[in-house]
Amino acid sequence: MRSIRFHGRGGQGAKTASRIVGTAAFLEGLTAQDSPLYGAERRGAPVSASTRIGREPIRERGLILQPDLIIIADESLIDDSSARVLDGLSERTAVFVNTALGSEQARDRFRIPGRVTALDLTDMTLRQFGKPVALSAPLGAVACRLLGLKAESLRAAVAGELADLGLPEAVIERNLALAASCYESVPLVPVEETAGAMPAPVPLWTPVYEPPTVGSARISASANSPLHETGGWRTFRPVLVPDKCNGCWLCFVYCPDGVISMTKDDLPLIDYDHCKGCQICVQECPTKALVAEREQEGAGTWRAK
Amino acid sequence: MPWQRETFKKIKQIPREEHVLPGTSLCAGCGGLEALRLAAKVLGDDVVYVNAAGCFTMLAAYPFTPFKGSWLYTTMGSAPAGAQGVRDALDVLIAKGRLPQRDDLKVVVLGGDGSTYDMALSSTSGAIYRGLDFYYFCYDNEAYGNTGVQLSAATPYGARTTTSPCSLQHPAGTIQEKKDIFEIWRAHKPPYIATVAPRYPLDLAEKFARAATFTGPKLFLALSACPTGWLYDPGETPEVAKLAVETGLWPLKEAINGAVTHTYLPKRKPVEEYLKLQGRFRHLFEPTKQEEAIRHIQERVDAYWQRVTV
Repeated sequence: MRSIRFHGRGGQGAKTASRIVGTAAFLEGLTAQDSPLYGAERRGAPVSASTRIGREPIRERGLILQPDLIIIADESLIDDSSARVLDGLSERTAVFVNTALGSEQARDRFRIPGRVTALDLTDMTLRQFGKPVALSAPLGAVACRLLGLKAESLRAAVAGELADLGLPEAVIERNLALAASCYESVPLVPVEETAGAMPAPVPLWTPVYEPPTVGSARISASANSPLHETGGWRTFRPVLVPDKCNGCWLCFVYCPDGVISMTKDDLPLIDYDHCKGCQICVQECPTKALVAEREQEGAGTWRAK
Repeated sequence: MPWQRETFKKIKQIPREEHVLPGTSLCAGCGGLEALRLAAKVLGDDVVYVNAAGCFTMLAAYPFTPFKGSWLYTTMGSAPAGAQGVRDALDVLIAKGRLPQRDDLKVVVLGGDGSTYDMALSSTSGAIYRGLDFYYFCYDNEAYGNTGVQLSAATPYGARTTTSPCSLQHPAGTIQEKKDIFEIWRAHKPPYIATVAPRYPLDLAEKFARAATFTGPKLFLALSACPTGWLYDPGETPEVAKLAVETGLWPLKEAINGAVTHTYLPKRKPVEEYLKLQGRFRHLFEPTKQEEAIRHIQERVDAYWQRVTV
């Protein structure tokens, strides 16, 4: 049996990628199991999905704590401690990162022990679709290739899963082409089989209940939500071209999260610690003074504090 | 004489100060949050928010809160009852002199369309009947968005949700019509009801400023374009909200003591322009265009405007 854990942000397609791998394995006569985990689902918030495939019936259930393969849809997730992307990592775990860095660079930059492979799926998707859309087909393709699943199974799985989501045929065709090229170009690393031994049983944890006055959630602090940073949700960030700004306030007015404030000279000031990268300001700017730039190293890069 | 804005005439009159702070876990590009943030700029900080379960649960997810004031969390069906309790407590404290009048607070219910149109309808009806002095802010994203986009009584005809998929039996998706909650409220004769959309910030701010002059139940129905549930890019939220109004599907109006005024008369673009932008209506255009369903939506809008403008 091999266990694969996907990590992405809500909307990036980690859940669908997990289904694609399960379906592709199933089409090859293997047994498969997949289960996503996303709590109160939010576009941009960290989500994960667990997939197990094997030749024998799969008895294990639940989250994958010691994955054989980790697929990371967004490099910014690695720095986000709440996403717990590298949990259960060992030297025999294969890790795929969607990043503009090469495999070696990614290993050094993110200090991942073991086998690291990388490919810039976001860039390939941008070239195919002209805009950042869900990465489910590329992520599924990469996982299938690393697991040694056939290209035909991948093709059938992508077509089936995307049709189930109600995508039009033309879009599915372009996803198939994109999946095929990702399948071809991902650098290979070996993915090991999980050893046959059953994992040690974990003792059941019994919660201790406090009296309601202590145990129930009561927020006594005022306006403390800025302590919770959401800057890591971005794939693209808005950047100001000061010469073009006419100080019209529209970006400030339309920003849902209120992360744009206007200076005394009516120039927008963006709070990158909290900007979720929804691009409303970029779309609404009448003079194109705000442009979307892919989230990369730089002054505005969000880092977990 | 057309409707005139009295307080908010220019975009730079929108207050700079923020009353809903960033750091919440709501989706990127949330139209409901956009509307709430603009509303809070007029409401100010002296507010108790009574929040029915829904997407806005994520506003004050423990231990963080984006509000400077208080927040009370209730079940989906009981936010107006919670508001009654808060209002009564404030009134009693003020009457007894334990709270100075200047420390009085506004009571604002935050409810999604699921709670507003369905579950909380009876407790809302009771609260209006008792003449409770409160604001009801409904962020209407036309589905149960928080649980994965299921059909609600606010889902419009033709939309695809996870519980109203388009099938051989129902190729057009949802066959139910959206409940007219505006008229349900109006039948209760509250002093003030209004619809707002985040793309029209001056209209929105003006309505909140006006409502402040009335004592009693006040409803705000905010069109909350939802990138996650309506399946469009988060950056297009204002565009979607704008087209909902410009096509006439989301009339901007207010009712003062029952008398309805439309605060903006759209030129009425064809509804197709609005539907086309969103994935939840994609099945109406692909693989075959469902002319009849689109015509049905258009005719309903036409009939509405014919009725109200004659």
